[in-house]
Amino acid sequence: MKKKRYLRWDKQSATTVLYPVIFGILLLILWQTQLLHKLLGADTFALPLPGRILRIIFDNGPTIIENIKATVMVAVGGLFFGSILGYLLGIIATVFPKWGAGGLSIASAISAVPIIAIAPILNNLTKDFSDVANVRSMFAKTIVVTITCTAAMSINAYRGLNELKPYSLDLMKSYAASKLTVFLKLRIPNSVPYIFVALRVSVPASIISALVSEYFAEFIIGVGRQIRENIVLAQYATAWAYIVVACAIGIIMYGILLAAEGALLKGRK
Amino acid sequence: MKKRTGSLTAAALTLALTTAALSGCSSAPEKETTIATTVAESTTGKETVATEGAKESASTGKYYSADAKAKDIVEDAAKKGKVGNWGLGNEYEVQALLSKYGQNTAFLSQAFDMDGFDDNSILLASAMTYNELGLIKNTYQGGYGYGDTVNFIDMNNEGVAMLEDNIFTTKEFASANPNTVKAFVSASMKGWEYACANPKEAAEIVFNAGSSVSSEHQAYMAEEVKKLVETDTKGNKVTELGKLDDEALQQTLDLAKKYIKLSDSTAAEKLQTLTLDDFRDASYWNDAKDGSTLGKPEKADVSIQLKWLPQAQFMGYYVAAAKGYYKDAGLNVTITPGGGDIGETTAVNSGQVDFGVTWDANLIAANAGGMNLIAVSQVYQRSGLVLVYKKNK
Repeated sequence: MKKKRYLRWDKQSATTVLYPVIFGILLLILWQTQLLHKLLGADTFALPLPGRILRIIFDNGPTIIENIKATVMVAVGGLFFGSILGYLLGIIATVFPKWGAGGLSIASAISAVPIIAIAPILNNLTKDFSDVANVRSMFAKTIVVTITCTAAMSINAYRGLNELKPYSLDLMKSYAASKLTVFLKLRIPNSVPYIFVALRVSVPASIISALVSEYFAEFIIGVGRQIRENIVLAQYATAWAYIVVACAIGIIMYGILLAAEGALLKGRK
Repeated sequence: MKKRTGSLTAAALTLALTTAALSGCSSAPEKETTIATTVAESTTGKETVATEGAKESASTGKYYSADAKAKDIVEDAAKKGKVGNWGLGNEYEVQALLSKYGQNTAFLSQAFDMDGFDDNSILLASAMTYNELGLIKNTYQGGYGYGDTVNFIDMNNEGVAMLEDNIFTTKEFASANPNTVKAFVSASMKGWEYACANPKEAAEIVFNAGSSVSSEHQAYMAEEVKKLVETDTKGNKVTELGKLDDEALQQTLDLAKKYIKLSDSTAAEKLQTLTLDDFRDASYWNDAKDGSTLGKPEKADVSIQLKWLPQAQFMGYYVAAAKGYYKDAGLNVTITPGGGDIGETTAVNSGQVDFGVTWDANLIAANAGGMNLIAVSQVYQRSGLVLVYKKNK
């Protein structure tokens, strides 16, 4: 019985993968044969053919990898610091429940600040951080991503640490468990799925904020910055190549997250 | 009530904790980099002392002596990695200068204000004579008030000048509407002539047309722009405004081929094959100057996309509109201001606007990328880009 259910699920997952892939291939064929251009009324200048875009990616491997490194470092670094910070805030809010709600609404208010507004300001604030432009620029970009990622994690961590199954807390109390034990044995394990809920929001957000903060950075590097530079220079094919790269980074990082989630939360629910 | 104050203190505390944690997070990597930079600092410090000691005996300081040579300044600033430019196609002259003195062509991304120059994170900053240089020197609104304590390196004197503001359109539009192009060039040049003869009035016209900067800065800008329109790269007076100076354009093209780096191999190959004929056509300007051969414009409603915000940089067009020169030529002209990342080449190429103002390097890059644009008039006859630096007291 159980085995059968597994199999059916596999079939379903196969189709969920297959349909988008078929759609993607169809879109690429339409694009390469320029039918898409006729449909959208675009020319091959603003919407270059996939073949040309791919060739630019292959021709410029080292340069593109260098830019990817810069972007991923900022995104992952910010995601890491932001998530840890967010989780700590969630813990603090749980330990001091009276203050918690107020504090977290401030954290989410900070996240509502449009990133475009804080990126140039952070550039000025971090000028003394290092004499090397690339280093201080990386630092400024990472802070932007950190701020973005903190909010999602803090709110979800707070929920994960507090939305316990009603009977479980009573059970712990009946065992006369200390607050620390409740925390370690009940609250923290309970918060793990919520961490992934937060990460599902903040992984794409971290990449978007890394790309955008590069626009304003002092040091010219990164996938986002290359998109901007090339569009201004009317090099649309190259800009598209970097857009494809940016999409790939996003998809891969999200894929890694889903794989990690699948591995860690196996057997839950 | 009690609860309320409780949550307020909570809010304050969490904020404090956030900042504390933020700075805590940063302190770890900070330490590492501080070590790295102190090493770097001490070596560059030695270098500075050595070079400055060699080239100047009278004065020492963190900036440059009043009689320092361009070569020494560029070398020092480049070694410290403190040469700034806005990038986005404005960097080629700076890169050409850096190469001329044997330096790496890397530069810092400069914001559209001069704060980086002000706080010394950029020692050798890019500035347009008519805009940023005025802001650095002058004390009016938005100015930094450096006065004569700054000096600059002029791209024209260094032989790395590339031509800037032109009037361009697509080849297609020009061949379909030759009379419109001629009429537009002719009327615009009348506007520029009047503006250069009466810069104060021109500045006022621009200011009233919806200015992005103060009227004092507009007046300063008009005076400086006049110099760029009326003087060529060699410092000679230009009598025929808007002429396509082939010698200067060729220098622009040569430098463009050397310093425009395109990742798209198709575009990069095409860039190397471009000749003057691929991005400029003097026939419209020649006919416009004649005046006698001007026919009825095929298209009366035309628009021009500026490269930047409304300012005296574009005073000729605003004057031509205000003085009715466009109307006299049978045209109804809409002036569309630019700013930020506006791609004037894309706007013209896609047909959103008919004419545009851009730098010739941008035009060359766009044509290499597959556009078919031509400059029909070269308004600025010399480069307005300078690298500004502070002088030691």
